[in-house]
Amino acid sequence: MSRIKLNIQNPFNSPTEDYETFDQIDGSHPLKKKVPESVVEYKARYRDGGKVAAFNFDLAKEIGLLDEDHPDKLSKSLSKKILDTFSIMIINEYDEIVGKKFPEDQIKPNTYMATRYLQLQHPNKQGKTSGDGRSIWNGQVKHKGKVYDISSCGTGATCLSPATHLYGRYFESGDPSISYGCGYSEVDEGFSTLFFSEIFEKNKIGTERLLAVIEFPNKISINVRVHQNLIRPSHMFNHLKQGNHEALTKMVDYHIAREKRNKIWKEVPKGQQKYDYFLNKECEIFSDLVARFESDYIFCWLDWDGDNILMDGSVIDFGSIRQFGLFHHEYRFDDVSRFSTSIKEQKHKAKYCIQTFAQLVDYVKTGKRKPLKDFNNHQILKKFDKVFEDKSLEYFVTKIGFNSKDTKYLLKSKRKEVLSFYKTFCYFERYKSLHGLHEVGDGINWDAIYCMRDLLRELPQLYLSRGENIKKSEFIEIARSSYATDPDVALTNYKSKKIKDFQESYWKLINLVSKSSKKSQEKILLEISMRSSIVNKFDRVTGDSITTIVNKILGQRPKLSPVEIQKILRDFSEYQNMDPDTKDYQNRHAKQGRLMKGMLKIVRDYREGL
Amino acid sequence: MKLVFYGGGFEEYNIELDLEAIRLSGKKRPKVTYIPSCSYGLEADFKAFSDHYRDLGVKQIMYFPIDLPFDRVLEREIQSSDIIHLSGGNTFYFLNHLRKKKWLSKLKTFVGDGGVLTGLSAGGILMTPDIKTASYPSFDCDENEDRIRNFEALNLVEFEFFPHYRNSKRYNEVLTKESKKIKNRSLFASPDGSGLVVEGSRISFIGRNYLFLNGVKHYIKEQTRLIQ
Repeated sequence: MSRIKLNIQNPFNSPTEDYETFDQIDGSHPLKKKVPESVVEYKARYRDGGKVAAFNFDLAKEIGLLDEDHPDKLSKSLSKKILDTFSIMIINEYDEIVGKKFPEDQIKPNTYMATRYLQLQHPNKQGKTSGDGRSIWNGQVKHKGKVYDISSCGTGATCLSPATHLYGRYFESGDPSISYGCGYSEVDEGFSTLFFSEIFEKNKIGTERLLAVIEFPNKISINVRVHQNLIRPSHMFNHLKQGNHEALTKMVDYHIAREKRNKIWKEVPKGQQKYDYFLNKECEIFSDLVARFESDYIFCWLDWDGDNILMDGSVIDFGSIRQFGLFHHEYRFDDVSRFSTSIKEQKHKAKYCIQTFAQLVDYVKTGKRKPLKDFNNHQILKKFDKVFEDKSLEYFVTKIGFNSKDTKYLLKSKRKEVLSFYKTFCYFERYKSLHGLHEVGDGINWDAIYCMRDLLRELPQLYLSRGENIKKSEFIEIARSSYATDPDVALTNYKSKKIKDFQESYWKLINLVSKSSKKSQEKILLEISMRSSIVNKFDRVTGDSITTIVNKILGQRPKLSPVEIQKILRDFSEYQNMDPDTKDYQNRHAKQGRLMKGMLKIVRDYREGL
Repeated sequence: MKLVFYGGGFEEYNIELDLEAIRLSGKKRPKVTYIPSCSYGLEADFKAFSDHYRDLGVKQIMYFPIDLPFDRVLEREIQSSDIIHLSGGNTFYFLNHLRKKKWLSKLKTFVGDGGVLTGLSAGGILMTPDIKTASYPSFDCDENEDRIRNFEALNLVEFEFFPHYRNSKRYNEVLTKESKKIKNRSLFASPDGSGLVVEGSRISFIGRNYLFLNGVKHYIKEQTRLIQ
């Protein structure tokens, strides 16, 4: 039994009925004028038959679409407003050619843009034909000094879809003869993005966020996404590859201005120097990003096209995102014609993007496009390596459970010791099964076998209790995952030495912090133990678990209303918040409902997987 | 046998009972383990528990979520604690997982070997013969979502324990009625911040406690006496 602290909303608060804030989302976007070469404009019409399957009330409040005291209530007027604003379909080239007629009152007054960007899966490798194949940008929202871009996926087939160029003709939106390229998206995609992105957001991993899922018959949907700036590197790389100096410069200028406007970049110099600032910022963003991805076992198919990621390092398009339970660094997604990159290769791809940015900035500044290989030894690449190592160490120390003050101290004053420990840590983290490379559901993998999160969670407790090292056999027993066989974990002389090194390094850091902070070892270990229980929580979602959870939630509908989905989303993303500094500690004796129980079981079942 | 029953409430209301638990351990700085009834929301509860015990001078504090898989290394270590605290929460869920993980017998052994077992609310109920008191009154009881049928608990004492007691008519009616059903067995009711300390054959009452026996309610002053 427990006594619960209740946090009840005032039921007499009635929602604002006009929702005028939505009216600013009407297709208008400055990019149309600033970089017309980057957009294809479409007329659009209202699309009948949609209903709101999910609505992110928290996000809507954050960007000012709803008042902060708006209750989680999807009234008829709110639902109508969401549909009026976002339930749209473009009138595309196919519609124009066949002369389709639509009632005048259903046609939106403004045009909506699809943007052009580079995509490696397109036949044209300069980005002349690629970009938003099934999305349009709804416009912008301004709130509290910030500007947010809003776009929707599943609003019809554009001329930038791969199908158009593979088959050499325009397609009707929803054409059943093609799947990738028909211009539709699906409900499960929307829900996966909704849940995954909110978990990332809680854990301060940059991400697009989902505002709404509008559902239509046959499981198709429009998924509405929001971010402060939806520009990707590939929005610039296409102009670079095409040698379009003017368009490229305009796009870079546009991006810099947006980051300034949103106060994300605060000290942008004037004149040509702003491009150097831009390059340095992108270097910091991308090196930090891949260090974080490695640390958190996040698989994101980064490649030379600069797609799948936003300029600020935020994740976009969760279709190619995974979060692994162990460091499965040999996993590759099988995309029929090729295999994806692996987690470890993400760093090289990110570095390649930075080299491309160096080429890009030089081109913008000089007007002459030099070959990419001329930038093989650019000083920015050295900076990339340095920031990558710094950030990798920082994430490692944080993962152990040290607080930010102690982390800063260790990185600044005891880097050698941290680096030495990190190398030993990586030995176990990257250790692979004797089973070798094999096929998995959607690709190939060579299983990692040690669950370092379990080790980091339990070790401080055991050290606190015993005040000394644990036995080697105990070390293995804690760290071995379900992927490990007895031969995998057999103790060799070298492995034994590594276990000894690991424990010595751990104690060394504890002692150093204890000495510098003048706190006892026990006090340090207790704090680490508490923080590590959150950072290295047993139940951590993986890509597979998100997919299964989404199927479970979809199976509960239509009984599950958007308001109930919002509550589950809020509870679940907070449950997956692994940041001890932002964790909601007020929510004592939280109760888990039946559905949440089922979701947690799924998380547990898939916790070591892909 | 060393047991502490907490009626409920947040840490700041239970300092006296905590100090009793530390005293019973015979150590100034005992090794304490926190077993939450459920891993969901564990972090907030463990942090509060840990912060509180740290203020009382305890530094070796571990946690052991019973509803999650665990390895034998940690399991053995937990058994070497001086104090094990069973948290509040859903009594049925808690019992179900303690039984599934074969920890009922381990806790009995722990107590038999001289360890101090403490329990708040659901944790306290678990130390009694069975967990029936979690199923009433209908207006304030735990849901048996896991539909467990075997209510037998640790059976470390002969009395029954009712936490979060409120001295009101509707509570009294239910407890009076229930105490009649268990003939001659004591049913102790403790409000938040109150509780019982069992040390061998003696029982102490901290704060305001009540006894329901054969349909009659008795107020118990703070005192120590032999368990009857």
